[in-house]
Amino acid sequence: MTEIPVALTVILSVGTAAAVALALLLARSTRETRRLRQRSAAADKDLQEALRQQAALAGRAQATEAEVRHLAGARIPDLTAALAHPNVPVRGLLDPSFRGTEVDRALTTVLEQVSDAVTKERLRVDGAAQAAMRGATTTIQALLYQLQTRLQTMQERYDDPFVAEDLLAADFLNEQALRRIQSTAIVCGAWPGLTRQNSHLGDIVVGAMSRLSGYERVQVTNQLRDPVGVVARAVEPAAVVLTELLANALHYSHPELPVAVTIQQGNRGASVIIDDAGVGMHAEEMDRAQRMMAGQDSVLLTELGDPPKTGFATVGQLAKQYGFTASVEPSPYGGVRAIVHIPGEPLLTLLDEEEQPMSPMAPVPRASASSAAPVASALPGHTATQRPAQPEPAQADTTQLGVGAGRTSEPTRPGPADDPHDQLSEDGLPRRRRRRPVPYVALGTPDEASAPASGGDSAAPARPAEAPQASPEESAQRWAAFQRGTNSGREAAETGTHPQVPPAPSPAPDHGSAVHHDHYADPRSAEGNPQE
Amino acid sequence: MTPPPRDGRRLVPAYLATTGRARPSRNTLDRLTVLHGAADPSTVSGLRPEEIRLLELLRGGALSLAEAAAHLRLPVSVVKVLVADLVDTGRLMARAPIPDAELPERQILEKVLNGLRTLKSS
Repeated sequence: MTEIPVALTVILSVGTAAAVALALLLARSTRETRRLRQRSAAADKDLQEALRQQAALAGRAQATEAEVRHLAGARIPDLTAALAHPNVPVRGLLDPSFRGTEVDRALTTVLEQVSDAVTKERLRVDGAAQAAMRGATTTIQALLYQLQTRLQTMQERYDDPFVAEDLLAADFLNEQALRRIQSTAIVCGAWPGLTRQNSHLGDIVVGAMSRLSGYERVQVTNQLRDPVGVVARAVEPAAVVLTELLANALHYSHPELPVAVTIQQGNRGASVIIDDAGVGMHAEEMDRAQRMMAGQDSVLLTELGDPPKTGFATVGQLAKQYGFTASVEPSPYGGVRAIVHIPGEPLLTLLDEEEQPMSPMAPVPRASASSAAPVASALPGHTATQRPAQPEPAQADTTQLGVGAGRTSEPTRPGPADDPHDQLSEDGLPRRRRRRPVPYVALGTPDEASAPASGGDSAAPARPAEAPQASPEESAQRWAAFQRGTNSGREAAETGTHPQVPPAPSPAPDHGSAVHHDHYADPRSAEGNPQE
Repeated sequence: MTPPPRDGRRLVPAYLATTGRARPSRNTLDRLTVLHGAADPSTVSGLRPEEIRLLELLRGGALSLAEAAAHLRLPVSVVKVLVADLVDTGRLMARAPIPDAELPERQILEKVLNGLRTLKSS
């Protein structure tokens, strides 16, 4: 009987154990299953993620490829075009989402490198071309100068009109060739190729126009008051600058129209103003011309067009090197006005016309020679030494007025004193001229009128017609006489029976009047006093 | 006749004086033609600078054409054109030099003298 319970027990215990074990197993398997499910879900998610990333990467790679293709096919060509023609736009990134990324930076670096390389190579090639041109033009220029000398000698030698005319024509052709060569050489960085001596500004203008076909149309007006010259080193550059600007004026205006040139003297230099009535320039061209004539940028032959337009570039180069200023603006005649200003300080000088006469073809000065004192003082250093000559302008001026018939070959006039008397114009009417201020003209009349008490003896010597130019000693004497007269008048008034006579006004600057009198302003202040 | 020595290269070429002409309107001029200004130095307005300067030069008295050319520093051929123009407009007088050939020949004068003497003695 006992065996049964034992057996039962055994069986029960075994069964329990099995159940426990099974339960354990079950629980474990359930856990495992859950875990596996979780893992599978995670793996699934990972896979999805990976797929998505892969797709994104593929898209990215494709976009990058497209970007690189865009760089090669569009942006680099754009860039090279833009380097040659600054107004060509360079396209940006194809896909804006790349902006700021590593790809963008890399591509930009490529562009920069290309730009650098192209620019350098361009400069190198241009430099080589310029050097080649310089070499050729220098030789040709020298030869043309020799030809010029030869032609000139022949012009002196042969009188036969037919030969002479051919020689003149050949000379003119040679000048034109020379001008072309010279301007090309200067654009290519050569110097003007010639040093001249100090020359009259009028000569330079006429010389410049002689180098151009159509020079007959140029009408030069010379308004210089002094024999203004340009210092040696700047003569040929000035001539070249004027030639190029005149060439523009002649070229861009109708062959019937005149080109007006005015030479003017200013306080701080001289200006040559070239006006044409031609087609003019629009604002953009004006800007470009101004920029080129400023001479700040280096000149590239490739930027001058084909065939190269060297004019403004030549002017710019020379302006920069020698210190002129050149500018263009719309002309009141409808075309273009070009102004060349030559600063007086380093570049101008006064020339002695006796020693170095102007060329006979140079325009005759219009202005009076005797009025230039204050302006001339702005010219450097030479004023004091060369002023007294007072040469050609006065002479030429009278020539133009048609007076001076009685004069013989005496070229200089004594001074401004005789101006008011011989200024008869061609119709016989007196002509006013500007003169140096003469103090006695202002002084004489009020002296007489308002101070009769001072007596006739003091007023009489101060009459303008008799002594318009007096030395300081003379004027001192006169003022002293005036003072004496005033004092005697006062004494008479005080000692006389009519004290109500007002005391004669005494001029304030009595003392040291000789010193004061050198200044023209002073007698005028004295003149003012008697009227108070 | 050589021009006065020039230092440096000329700045203003000669053809500018006559706009390239070297054939004067009259062919009676030569280097020795004597020039003097017209009695009435009428207006110079409308004249070109080189003409004004030529007239100015002659205001002091007569000059031969070659001398005038030397003073103006221009070739004689060019000055001839200038002179011809000015003579045409009456502003300048040009007088031919007295050539040797136009003086009576010595033999003729001697013959006349001899004839007079024989008249007297007879």
